[in-house]
Amino acid sequence: MAKIDTLKEEARKLLQDGKVKYIIGYGAGSNGWPAAPLFIKQPEDVDKLIWDPTCIHNLVRFLVDEKRRKGKEKPPDKRPVGIFVKGCDSRAIVVLLQEKFIERGDVYILGISCEKAGVVDDAKLAKKLAGKKVITIEVDDENRFVLTTAGGKIEVPVEELLAERCLECRANFPVIYDVLSGEKTKRAVDKPFGSVEKIESLPVEERWAFWKEQIDKCIRCYACRSACPMCYCDECVVDSIQLAVSADTTADEKAGRIKWIQRSAAPSENMIYHLVRAIHLGGRCIDCGECERVCPLDIPLRLLNKKLEKEAKELFDYEVGFDPDLPALISSFRDDDPQDFIR
Amino acid sequence: MEKTLAKKDFPQWVKKLTSWKIYLPKKDAGGRWNYAEADGEDVLETRQATLPPKTILFPQNEILLEFSKSRKGNAETLEVKEVLPPAEPTVVFGVRPCEAKAAWLLDEVFASEPRDIYYWMRRENTTLVGLACTPPPSDNCFCTSVEGSPHAEEGSDILLTDLGDKYYVRSLTAKGEALINAAKGLFEEAKPEDRKKVKAVHTESEKKIQRELKGARAVSEKLKTMFDSPFWDEEAMSCLRCGICTYICPSCHCFDINDEIIDTTPLRGKRVRTWDTCQFPDFTMHSSGHNPRPDKASRLRQRLLHKFQYFVQVYDKFMCVGCGRCITMCPVGIDIIKVLEKVRDHGA
Repeated sequence: MAKIDTLKEEARKLLQDGKVKYIIGYGAGSNGWPAAPLFIKQPEDVDKLIWDPTCIHNLVRFLVDEKRRKGKEKPPDKRPVGIFVKGCDSRAIVVLLQEKFIERGDVYILGISCEKAGVVDDAKLAKKLAGKKVITIEVDDENRFVLTTAGGKIEVPVEELLAERCLECRANFPVIYDVLSGEKTKRAVDKPFGSVEKIESLPVEERWAFWKEQIDKCIRCYACRSACPMCYCDECVVDSIQLAVSADTTADEKAGRIKWIQRSAAPSENMIYHLVRAIHLGGRCIDCGECERVCPLDIPLRLLNKKLEKEAKELFDYEVGFDPDLPALISSFRDDDPQDFIR
Repeated sequence: MEKTLAKKDFPQWVKKLTSWKIYLPKKDAGGRWNYAEADGEDVLETRQATLPPKTILFPQNEILLEFSKSRKGNAETLEVKEVLPPAEPTVVFGVRPCEAKAAWLLDEVFASEPRDIYYWMRRENTTLVGLACTPPPSDNCFCTSVEGSPHAEEGSDILLTDLGDKYYVRSLTAKGEALINAAKGLFEEAKPEDRKKVKAVHTESEKKIQRELKGARAVSEKLKTMFDSPFWDEEAMSCLRCGICTYICPSCHCFDINDEIIDTTPLRGKRVRTWDTCQFPDFTMHSSGHNPRPDKASRLRQRLLHKFQYFVQVYDKFMCVGCGRCITMCPVGIDIIKVLEKVRDHGA
């Protein structure tokens, strides 16, 4: 497991020298999950930083908040924000750069390689612990998770507890960084789209029944879009709050504003919401799996995005989040496009 | 009325309640607990369902009325039809005492004058059968810190306590008695030794609560001085501005009302009340474009002030029952106990 001592020292220096506005990393959680996002402004707080396989959160999402915050500052503090990223998280930064949502100078990237492991899946971990409380989780030299509980240590091969997306991850080290900790180890993956292929293999009726049941559970808390670093629209299609109102705007005009999706958490509305979100993430989702992790009803949302990732790969040989200089998939055109209709 | 019921007879009791629609916590295929309809294989377990039974008394979508327009020649008529909840007697078994207490809090809001007829009809038709928590269903339970207890009676019509091979059945209302009378033969009169045992179980259960917020009343007082504190900016840094904490909360009850169009020619639609949350940016958005709660900090502050300051000022009760769901389920680990402890100790 990569050590973050060097990154901590780097973070301390950055804060001491005033080179960054603040640092986004991981600290200890108090709700039963060992890690939680941590924001540090003072060099002495650097010691609160942790790194373990429960550092599951994609912190890049907080760069969206930072951009909004900076927009309101007078004058704006233009110093970069320091941010800890895993491999998948770093690809989110690449996409934000491609889309020119942020500039390279806005971030100071402290990269950590997951090496041969990754992050643990909360459901798999809970099952393994069977009611016991985990104190720490580490990866040992033989690539096993070592779970320390009050009742002793439990050793588990990483594959058994890894998050599904980590099992399908092809580059579990940061692809963009200012400093890096850990080895750039590629994980051998037999089936990078295994989870999607499983669903694809079902007859259409079964697939429909599966998704209907899943989507019906949705309570529209919007945690999926809130956790997503790519869901940075000022106005989401489900909200329609930006109706320009003047003194002359009539009640009819206000009432008649377009509502693409009704507020009721009804099956049809939930379905449209999730499909719109999935389509908007086509060629943009870097599979950090946050949407699925944060869902309080366990809707397997990652599969929707993974399907579009697969299409992008198969149709355009496009892999998301590896090259900040490459034009974004949906805003680019190629003469050798394989589809006839577009020529 | 105090009785006992052999545990093995619980399914019999459920079966005898043929005039009621029955819900109880059930494990779904994915391993989560939900309040679901009885299916003949019904046992009670002390579990925390993902969504509280608020979903039964205050459903996420409630149709208030339906409307349609028709035209005859040049004359247009608008027909409006009130839609009321179905008046079906319902029982929810195995309610956590904190969840029943939350219903008691919702009563303050919806059942006091002017009564909210939609809530009130469901509430009047629903019998809540609480089950004392032995042990607490979550590591983040803290009911004893907010003037509650794992065997609280507020809001329940019956409180059950697990005594090993039988339940101690304490009826608290006429609705509760009706439920017992519907299956009279199954119950025995409670004996003095049962009462003694119940007391011991209840005392023991309080000791098993793992989390604590000391001085919750002092927090309420302190909050009055912290509205403009930069503290909230710091605490809200990691907030995602999702609605999980409020939607899964047994006592949160904010809603929105919208007209939803079903057809345009001829016009036909419904007016629907849906859950809403102070955590969404559009919750306080004015039509002028001004938003008095413009950022995450002001929205996190609102959630805590509503629960621990405003509600206390108006009703002299906390609007938090200490179930710990928001702590367990926050995707970024925002912990209401920790935040309130910081409030309490702020500037000390």
